[in-house]
Parts: sequence; structure tokens; C-alpha cells
Amino acid sequence: MEDSRTLLALLVVFAPLSLVSIGGGPAVFAEMQHEAVVVHGWVTQQQFGDLFAISRAAPGPGALLATLIGWQAAGWLGALVVSLAFFVPSSIVVYVAACFWNRWRGSAWHSAIEDGFVPIAAGLVLAGAFAVLQSGGAGPLAWGTAFCVAAWRLWRPNFHPFIALGLGAALFGFGRAIL
Amino acid sequence: MKTSAVDATEPRPPFSAGFAELFLLFSKIGLSSFGGGVSVWMHTALVERRGWLDETEFSSALALARIMPGVNIINLAVLIGHRLIGLSGAVAAVLGLLVGPSLIVIAAAILYRRFAGVTILDVALAGTAASAAGLLIGMGVKSGGRIVRRGLASSGRTAQGVGTIVIFAATFVLVGVLRLPTVPTVLCLAPCSLALAWFGGRKASMERNDDGG
Repeated sequence: MEDSRTLLALLVVFAPLSLVSIGGGPAVFAEMQHEAVVVHGWVTQQQFGDLFAISRAAPGPGALLATLIGWQAAGWLGALVVSLAFFVPSSIVVYVAACFWNRWRGSAWHSAIEDGFVPIAAGLVLAGAFAVLQSGGAGPLAWGTAFCVAAWRLWRPNFHPFIALGLGAALFGFGRAIL
Repeated sequence: MKTSAVDATEPRPPFSAGFAELFLLFSKIGLSSFGGGVSVWMHTALVERRGWLDETEFSSALALARIMPGVNIINLAVLIGHRLIGLSGAVAAVLGLLVGPSLIVIAAAILYRRFAGVTILDVALAGTAASAAGLLIGMGVKSGGRIVRRGLASSGRTAQGVGTIVIFAATFVLVGVLRLPTVPTVLCLAPCSLALAWFGGRKASMERNDDGG
């Protein structure tokens, strides 16, 4: 009985967050923290920080933080309920938009929108990288590593990014060891 | 099929992938994107390696994914999956990105409880995150460079070319350096950028008509 009440509460918290997370998962991390830590006590503040770090470092979307909170609160079923509640509603909205978007492919204003978003997307990609590097006490070593990886990637675009990632992490570790 | 009508208006390389192939590809993308930056891996796999999407399609999907509600990467998966094979593609792409990584992240949380505070682990995580940011910088600089080159080369349409460069730079400075919130900033810049593309595109097509006639 207690379990199903927790699952219902997870659903009620995360489904609306899905629809207001305009600008991406991080836009609602603050609200997620408030609900999970302060209102419902599903995780402690310390646990929330740890889960955040894990979701950033592990492969896949950083928003799997939501899934981890569900798992911490109510086990595997909690993880499943939160995943459905957090990822499905917004995906339906985007899917409906995509249907209209593709129907008008080829019209003049469709191409204008596609071309018009190109410089904005490029600016946002760079901005996202800087946001990551500014957060969480990343020092000069992190900036240096990032720029080395970026330069390597531009110089040798045909190498798989995985190689650049491994070399970058090794460089960072080496730098940490000698500095 | 719905996609055949789309292909008729816009020729593209022969494309045949089913639910299973798309699910496996997006699983691979999800599982290999350590430290974030999933969009870089999608770009590598779909645009650079397979040519299933062109640069403009990918960029506009990326921008649309960012201004709609929901996690950017999941939205991008919905848009790309739908573009490639419709509803089943969108479902395959999203499931691929979520199922494998969810299991890994929960396994990681279980392990982390046991090994928290081990220095080499923390250094590896921090190094991976910094490198992932570097991949993002590489991707942004590459498409930014293309915008700047094209902008400077646009003879006869200088205002549009320079305007595009300004939009690119302004987006980066406002969101990345000054840390203004993404959605209002994009909502302010998008109309300017769309107007530039609209009038530039019309002028370009008129010039083409003049050449033809």
C-alpha cells in the first residue's frame, strides 16, 4: 500500500515536470531537487548530489537523474514509473510537432526556419560546453583538456570520438598527477 | 508509405533501416556517450558516418529539440526517428537511448555506494566530463566556422551573411558567457534569424530565376 502510494506520488511529481522542462532536463533539476529532497524526502541532499554526478558521468542522457531518483525512492518499479512519467509526455508533444514539421517540408518558410535555426544551434552547442566547464569547480586543467580534445577533433575529424574521449581523460589524469 | 512522399521532394541516399536497426544504433549512441554530449555522437553516427541526415536537417532538429519541452536529446531522438521511419522510428530511437543507459546508470549507482571517494574514479569521471565538453566545442566550432565562411562569402547578400554571424555569436555570448536562460534568449533571437533566412532565401531564389531567365 505504501509502495503504490509512493509510485503514484512519483508519477504526480514527474509527469508535469516533463511538460515544463523547456530548454532541457537541467531546466527542471532545481524543481526536481526540491520535490525529491524537501517535499517528499525520497533522497537526502547528499544522495541527490551523488546521483547527479553519476548521471553526468555515466553514458546516456544526463536526465537519467530522474530515473535514479525513482530507483532510490521505490526500486526498479520506481525507476520504471519515473522514466515513463518524465520522458513520455514531452515526447508525445514533440512527436505531434514533428508530424506537422515534416508535412510542410519543401515549402519556402520551412527551409527558412531550418536555415534560420542553424546559427542558433551552433551558438547553443558552444554555450552548452561552456556551461559544463563553468559548473562544478572545473579548473584550468578541465578547460585545457577540453580545448585539446576540441583541437584534436577538428584536426582529425575521422577518428571516432571515443578515442578523443579516452585520450582527453588520460591527459586530464596525467595533468592531475604532475600538477 | 509516408516517408516515400517526403523522399520524392528531397532526394537522399538510399535508406533502409527498420525498428531493430534503429534501436540498436541509438542504444550504441546512448551507451558510448560518456560524460554527456550525446548530440555529438548522434551527429557522428547519422550525419558523418551514414549520411542519413544532412547538416541543415540535423542543426534545425537540434534547435527545435532545445526549445520544446522535454529533455533535448530525447526530443532530438523523437525528431530524427520520426524523420527516418515514422512513429516506430521515434519509439525505437527513444527506447534505444533510454533502456541500456538506464540499466548502466542504476548499476553505476549501486557500485558508487560501495566505492565512493576513491580518488582515481573521481579523476576519471572529471577527465571524461572535460573531454566530453571538448567534443561539444569541436562540434560548435565546426558548424560555427561553416557559418562564418558562408557569411563572408555571400557576395551581394552581405547583410544576411553578417547577420547570420552576429546571431551565432550573440547566441553563444548571451547563453554561454552571460548565462542568460536559454528559452527566452532563443525566443528573442529566433525571429531575427528566421527573418534573415526568409528574405535571404527569397532573394537567392529570385537571383536563381534571373540567371535562368
